[in-house]
Amino acid sequence: MALASAHPGETVAQPPAAETILDVVNLRTHFRTRRGVVKAVEDVSFRIRRGETLAVVGESGSGKSVTSLSIMRLVEQSGGEIAGGKMLFRRRDGTVADLAREAEPRMRSIRGNEIAMIFQEPMTSLDPVHTVGEQIAEAVRLHRGIGGRAAFAVAVEMLDYVGIPSARTRASDYPHQMSGGMRQRVMIAIALSCRPSLLIADEPTTALDVTIQAQILDLIARLQREQEMSVLFITHNLGVVAEIADRVVVMYAGRVVEAAEKRAIFKSPRHPYTIGLLASIPRVDRSERPGEGHKTRLVTMPGQSPPPLSRPPGCAFAPRCAMAVDRCRAGEPPLLALAPEHLSACIRAAEIGP
Amino acid sequence: MLAFAASRLLRALVTLFGASLLAFLVLRAMPSNPVRLIVGPFANDETIAAMTAKLGLDKPFYVQYVDYLLNFVTGNWGFSFSVGQPVLEHMALRVPASIELAIYAFIIAFLGAVLISVLASYSRSRAADGAARGFALLCVGVPPFWLSLVLLIVFFEQLGWLPGPSGRGPSPATAITGLYTLDALIGGQWAGLSENLRALTLPAIALALGPMGFLIRLLRANLLDVESEPFVTVLSAKGVPPIAIHFRHILPNAFLPTLTAAGLILAQLLGGSVLVERVFDWPGIGGYVMDGVLRQDYSAVQAFILLSAAAYIVVNLIVDLLYGWIDPRIRQS
Repeated sequence: MALASAHPGETVAQPPAAETILDVVNLRTHFRTRRGVVKAVEDVSFRIRRGETLAVVGESGSGKSVTSLSIMRLVEQSGGEIAGGKMLFRRRDGTVADLAREAEPRMRSIRGNEIAMIFQEPMTSLDPVHTVGEQIAEAVRLHRGIGGRAAFAVAVEMLDYVGIPSARTRASDYPHQMSGGMRQRVMIAIALSCRPSLLIADEPTTALDVTIQAQILDLIARLQREQEMSVLFITHNLGVVAEIADRVVVMYAGRVVEAAEKRAIFKSPRHPYTIGLLASIPRVDRSERPGEGHKTRLVTMPGQSPPPLSRPPGCAFAPRCAMAVDRCRAGEPPLLALAPEHLSACIRAAEIGP
Repeated sequence: MLAFAASRLLRALVTLFGASLLAFLVLRAMPSNPVRLIVGPFANDETIAAMTAKLGLDKPFYVQYVDYLLNFVTGNWGFSFSVGQPVLEHMALRVPASIELAIYAFIIAFLGAVLISVLASYSRSRAADGAARGFALLCVGVPPFWLSLVLLIVFFEQLGWLPGPSGRGPSPATAITGLYTLDALIGGQWAGLSENLRALTLPAIALALGPMGFLIRLLRANLLDVESEPFVTVLSAKGVPPIAIHFRHILPNAFLPTLTAAGLILAQLLGGSVLVERVFDWPGIGGYVMDGVLRQDYSAVQAFILLSAAAYIVVNLIVDLLYGWIDPRIRQS
């Protein structure tokens, strides 16, 4: 595989390096299990610029969550290891840290401080025995050197900032006294309390109902604008991607299969998997059109993503791909630039072209 | 919190009432006749009738029960003929010795269990976890009286570090609580405090290891459960150091079942232990009650039943209050 072309930075003109907040280069994350080594993430590269939202899209098992946990260096706790690659993160003081190699104490000063993360399950993401205010204040005390009551005052401010009414009284509430949407707001308040330069949002709206989802997305977008923060948004929901992303990385079976600006992904996808994903979005406007409405069925992709221990040789998507030819099964297709800022890992990408 | 405490207190009083009723009924249901035991086999009918009347046994059951309650509350616990002393007076000598030993044993068991299990789970090492489990199993399996003998052989006979089986340490000049260590501390008698602590060490360890093993096993299982909760990942993502995650977050969440078990263990320890008391010549309540049962000294046994019921209830009340203090969800339901 051509490593040089695998990385967007090598093939297209880039803005000055100072604008890049995180540069992930050929990241490989493995889990050793009794039945073999699970290569959850293989040769994943992408970069996130200051103030930008990068969406990582893929179905479960695509490695998108493991990628985020690798950046936070939390994979070790769940039995994984970073087997290779670099994750160059520009710190507040201007120095660049390779997160793949940082020692644990330094990682702790980055986690929750310069890189914060919000998770999928607001109902179980907070410690039930401490008040929400206390849980925000904990992060403030750890990273901002603000002690005791002053930290709690910051917590109240943060609750107010993320739109929780009567923040002063709600700060003394326990998680069980709040709804899912409220708890996700609290999670966001914790994440933003130390003004991180990168926020990783791992399916933050999946567990919420649709109206709350929209509110949370609006909130993240607003706070991002106000704090000039970069966001790595992990989701399987292309509707959410359309709403929030600047650029999109599509992952399949642990690898990046396509990367492009949002418009390009939606208007001219260059990988059969992306095309399949886009076709499976349920759309109200299609089925309501007279004449064809009653005939339109929800398009689904045939097959399933391969189990991580028995991935097929060559392109992992080939068994499900209508365009697959023998050459696809011969070797891992390289991720090549088709246009500036548009990469595809399909050997027939030129044929799909716009 | 106040309403929570009041409701738990009320429940405790009701339970105590039930326990007193049960103690009363069980003793009345005994096949033996206390009058016969007191007056002896050669007494005539008049003596028996007089003694029956003196004990109030000719009155209806409910009157007897009320008398029994009133007597207990007013400190009239009857005469213990096995020791030739009123029960209350003799208990006043024995109970503090038992309480002191029970509390020290409990502290060792409880703190030991918390430290060992949290540190084993914090270390994330299989060897440490295996060692903790093995140690717990050993603790649970070793009988305390045998352990007492081994401790005496090693620490008294061989090493000479700690005093032998000679009961409690010297009684301090100031007698306020009856707990020698506490009284010595209050009186500022450091030599007395140290000697009493040394006298307590071996029997307390002998009593503590079994409960400690049990608590380690329980707490370890609960810690493992909580460790895999999503909020623990969130805490790591916040940059909270692992030691704080374990003690400030995982422990309180994993603690409730251990707290319940610890309460029961403390209550049980307060009831004394015949075998360990015998080995160390400890003047505790367990030996006294054992003799009371064998010599059919029912006043002593009766007082003991109510006292231990009260101990269980008080300890459980404390556990309930701690529950609410630790877990807000219980406090507010």
